[in-house]
Amino acid sequence: MLSRSIRRSILDSRIPTSALPPTFLPNRARYFNSTVQHVDAPAESLDASLLATNASTEALETVAPVRRTIRQKVPLPPAPFTQPIALDASVKEMLPLLAAQPSHYISAHIHAKPYLVTAGDTVRLPFHMPGVVPGDILRLNRASSLGSRDYTLKGTPYVDERVFECRARVMGTEAEPMRTKEKKKRRNRRINTVKSKHKFTILKIAEIKINSLEDIEGSGESV
Amino acid sequence: MVVQGIRKATVGQNGVGAFILQCKRLDFHYCDWAGSSKGMNSFLRNSLTKFAALNPQVEITVSPRPRRHPVIKGTYINGREKAICVRNLTKEQVLQKAELLRDANGEKLKKVTKPVKSINESVRGVWSPYHDGGIHV
Repeated sequence: MLSRSIRRSILDSRIPTSALPPTFLPNRARYFNSTVQHVDAPAESLDASLLATNASTEALETVAPVRRTIRQKVPLPPAPFTQPIALDASVKEMLPLLAAQPSHYISAHIHAKPYLVTAGDTVRLPFHMPGVVPGDILRLNRASSLGSRDYTLKGTPYVDERVFECRARVMGTEAEPMRTKEKKKRRNRRINTVKSKHKFTILKIAEIKINSLEDIEGSGESV
Repeated sequence: MVVQGIRKATVGQNGVGAFILQCKRLDFHYCDWAGSSKGMNSFLRNSLTKFAALNPQVEITVSPRPRRHPVIKGTYINGREKAICVRNLTKEQVLQKAELLRDANGEKLKKVTKPVKSINESVRGVWSPYHDGGIHV
């Protein structure tokens, strides 16, 4: 569930244009094996919905029905928030003070593992993230704590994702040197050598921003 | 008085503002005659134009290398080079190797044990026993 929420929040800046054909997405276009996607039309804009329906009918004509069952490579936009955020009075008082301090840290969770990062840090994930290419921006929306020099906002267990914006850029994929392990049983000459070489996705934390109180409280009511 | 250089106020960090792909050039070497180049030649005929179009920031060159195995060479911004021999690989496997070279950063492979690397100084500072009341024994 967590991974899905991360995948959903991938490249939120791309979401408005995701209704267009894949040629309009420079980052996504570099993903070689991208297929034509069926994306639901946003209801508010007429032009975009027209474009999207055109694209979906084209997709129906060109793509075989078998291929439509393949999992989407471009994630759906996250569901809008239905409930307004309930902030404690002390949080309302302290959050502007936290935001006013010069540097911030965040304990962002990816696959339930915490990464204590500041803006500009490099994170080597312990896995190879599928479906991303270098240059993509991920929005990390799960954090257990958020702080500056004198203030820390702790989540119970997680901080509400409307409070902050943390974006990470995919820098590429790195591998480790080949590992070899010799497997030897007693009283037997045979030695089995096992080789392994894992790949890791590298992220760079591009932005940590703490939203202002008006934005936080407005986000629940407007949608 | 000692001559001093202008001190840098900030350090450039790729990816924080703009993003520059580390791979700047991919060289594809093939042989018309040898059988080990079969998949490579098929890749060059069918997939290379699409791959090149999807990666406009990478310079792509194709050159023959007669009587030798096919090779993909990646040149990186840090000046290093990575070469992968793609003998007897299929078209799809050659594409995977090309994507591997595109995603790499050109550094020598290292074992990394700590997940986060930072050049920023500590946000909360070093703890001091003389501030904030201290500890009463």
